[in-house]
Amino acid sequence: MRADRLSPVAWALVLLGAAIMLAPLVWTVLLSLKANAELVGNSGAALHGPYTLQNYAAIFGTSQTMRWLLNSAIVSLGTTAGVLVLCSLAGYGFARLDFPFRRTLFVLVLLGLAIPSQAVILPQHQLFATLHLHNSYPGLILPGLTTSFGVFFMTQYMKAIPTELDEAAMLDGASRFRVFWKVILPLTVPAQSALAVFTFLGSWNDYWWPLISATRSDMYTLTVGLAAAQMNYAQTSGLGFLMAQAVFASVPIFIVYLIFQRQIIQAMAGAALK
Amino acid sequence: MPGLQLRGVAKSFRNTEVLSNVDLDVAPREFIAFLGPSGSGKSTLLRIIAGLETADAGEVILDDRRIDGLPPGQRGVAMVFQHYALYPHMSVRQNMAFGLRNARVPQDQIDRLVEDAARVLEIDPLLERKPAQLSGGQRQRVAIGRAIVKSPKLFLLDEPLSNLDAALRLRTRVELAQLRERVESAFIMVTHDQAEAMTLADRIVVFNDRRIQQIAAPMEIYARPANRFVAQFVGSPAMSILPATLADGGTLASVKLGDGSRIDTSVGRDSLPAGAQVELGLRPEHVRVVLSGEANTEATVDLVERLGERSLVYARLRDGQQVTAEAEGTTTAKVGDTVGLRIDGAAAHLFGPDGTGYHRAAA
Amino acid sequence: MSAGVQRRWQGLLFVAPFLLLYCTILIYPLLKGAWLSLYRVDLFGGGTFVGLGNYGRLFADPVFWQSMANTLLLALMIVPLLTAIALALALALNRATRGAAILRGVFFSSAVLSVTIVTLIWRFVLAPDAGLLGELWTAAGWAPLPFLSDQSLVLPALAVTTIWWSVGFPMLLFLAGLQQIPHDMYEAAALDGAGRWTTFTKVTLPALKRTTILVFMLQTAAQLQLFGQSQLLTAGGPSGASRTAVLFLFESAFGRWELGYASAAAEVLFVLIVAVTLTQYALTGRPGADNAR
Repeated sequence: MRADRLSPVAWALVLLGAAIMLAPLVWTVLLSLKANAELVGNSGAALHGPYTLQNYAAIFGTSQTMRWLLNSAIVSLGTTAGVLVLCSLAGYGFARLDFPFRRTLFVLVLLGLAIPSQAVILPQHQLFATLHLHNSYPGLILPGLTTSFGVFFMTQYMKAIPTELDEAAMLDGASRFRVFWKVILPLTVPAQSALAVFTFLGSWNDYWWPLISATRSDMYTLTVGLAAAQMNYAQTSGLGFLMAQAVFASVPIFIVYLIFQRQIIQAMAGAALK
Repeated sequence: MPGLQLRGVAKSFRNTEVLSNVDLDVAPREFIAFLGPSGSGKSTLLRIIAGLETADAGEVILDDRRIDGLPPGQRGVAMVFQHYALYPHMSVRQNMAFGLRNARVPQDQIDRLVEDAARVLEIDPLLERKPAQLSGGQRQRVAIGRAIVKSPKLFLLDEPLSNLDAALRLRTRVELAQLRERVESAFIMVTHDQAEAMTLADRIVVFNDRRIQQIAAPMEIYARPANRFVAQFVGSPAMSILPATLADGGTLASVKLGDGSRIDTSVGRDSLPAGAQVELGLRPEHVRVVLSGEANTEATVDLVERLGERSLVYARLRDGQQVTAEAEGTTTAKVGDTVGLRIDGAAAHLFGPDGTGYHRAAA
Repeated sequence: MSAGVQRRWQGLLFVAPFLLLYCTILIYPLLKGAWLSLYRVDLFGGGTFVGLGNYGRLFADPVFWQSMANTLLLALMIVPLLTAIALALALALNRATRGAAILRGVFFSSAVLSVTIVTLIWRFVLAPDAGLLGELWTAAGWAPLPFLSDQSLVLPALAVTTIWWSVGFPMLLFLAGLQQIPHDMYEAAALDGAGRWTTFTKVTLPALKRTTILVFMLQTAAQLQLFGQSQLLTAGGPSGASRTAVLFLFESAFGRWELGYASAAAEVLFVLIVAVTLTQYALTGRPGADNAR
């Protein structure tokens, strides 16, 4: 880190930027704390009291928000678990083992880094319709498992572990799978946690696939549910409630962010080094 | 036949041959050192015995069982790796137990074997530590311990001392010597350090250029090197090799050097190949710096290396050939001086045009 | 020899689970999409081969061209500004003080939000009747601006929203890039009597060249796929002024169910993004250079 001091003008600009970053967030929280009736035609009321938690109470009481939260949790955790298993196995295979077409297959995987999800959405939608997987958890989870980045990330990490360890374990009579499971996998915990947090965030925030695949409101994830809610908020429950839903939906992700800040940064930097 | 036999082992990496038709017999409890420059194929051969590389051809037989088709863990061999390869996330105890667990040895027996080995290696207070909490020497012992508990028929050591500092290396050398007294296994150690090989091994296998150059006991290698390469690779400083012309007649060969001096060797004339061109090999201890009266030739000093009890004199004969000689620790010779040399022809070696070594008849 | 053969195929077992899914869910649809784009297909089946007909129709479709223009315009507004802001923030906040750490957290915080929440927040920042900016404008005595319903304001409004949302990640990349500059380069520059500006232009900026290209290209690829902001905040309006290419694709596919036509649009977008990605690899030399031993 550099030690030279920042000029006052630069500091002022940075602080102004921070204010621009925070103001919308604060505004959202204030709106969520106001009674809906008070905000009709007068959102400025959010700048002063009285404040209330009734919008939050309504989330727990009647709305589908809890169901969407559950769906988001199942999909994100399922995706994360699946990605860790598949990418660790594939990473070990590519990093350590020689098999026919290894280079070709790895290039095929790298190709995925450049495929935007929009380019495959139509056939994907057809495929999942044929398999009757729309509006189901597997249907929401499976596309998230095809992450080339995860395989690439794990392959690079495992390549950095000395092969002497694999060899020592094989002389100790371990099978290839046991070498992977008992010796190499425990050494990849830092990479696993970075990949896990990265995948979880991506899956939790994904809007594109659940928008297309989950068409029944009981299978919505939070992102799709909140999208639907904001499209027709005027006809339904009011601004304060809508904003309370937004805050409520962001809380889990902010908690994850605060706990795993280091892993997120590491994974992002890792993504950049691809 | 007990022990290890290699028959016709060959290996290439992508069209580059690294081992060519290697045969070797290792007796039970024998300590063998693989000595050679890097890239000579010695490590590859060790890894073929361990099962970490697959040979293109040939057989590996251990105690009458052909093992070259078996996975590494089923061969009855254990290996100590150059960088120890301890499992970083396991305690010392778990590291040593891992191989036994894989072999489904009962837990109480595992505990006993691990603790016995730890006591012998004096690492029993460290059993619950992780490798990162150990010093280099301690890690080395754990790596040896991990090999011992499996009671292998054959220990494979891959440059086991190369990561230790000089003092620790000496101590570990002593410990390795004690270890081989305690266990019933044979040892194969790969090294490029000739002192290590000479100290520890019953026999040394000298590798160069994909082939075994010589297999013999350490002093035999030193005294009767099979060829020019072995002669120069073993011994420090290296043997001086001088072109020479074979003189006619006699039962023992006499040669004339480029500067005109005549050396009478103890090499039988009959054993030499036809032709007059040979090379004369001289160990430094057989070329002494002497007063001119006792000298049989003279040379100009390039460098005097003072070792205390003796000095090494790097010099050039009158025809420019380089030769290394020994002098008293108190010698006054200095760079540029002309000194007299007494060459002990009876101890000299001769090398034929193909590099083959010829030595005085065995006593 | 059978043990050797078995060992050779063993590796395939490790990569097979991933590859099976990958090929089924990604590679097969990728090829199927190219195939679909050559047919006239709608919801009720059909499937008449039309060759490049879909592409011909696409390139003659003013709505498509408008959405492409909007997308490029958005990328043009967002990418350079975002890159510059992220670089400036990284330079300002690359220090070991507690304040800098907190501010880094503040600037990254929006990046963990989903597009749905971001648009929800910004809808009520930008809306003239219930928005934060509307309140500020009114408080200042001006008439609130209709950011989301004015054809000339809507793209800048989406750009600002996107920059607010996306600034954290590039900032992190620049911070990582700054950390990799060896400290002795600064010491050498100081010994050579370089001033702050010279040090910045001759040491820092050249060292960040690769990161800058990376940020620029990653962001370009990302903004060419801009979708949620446009769909949720304006539904592409007013009168198509903020419809992006992906929104066009989405509407033709899942609104009008013209699958062949939408596939053609998807292929065009795909080629565009692959071109950007390949340019990035060419300029930064990754990946693939070290893809296999």
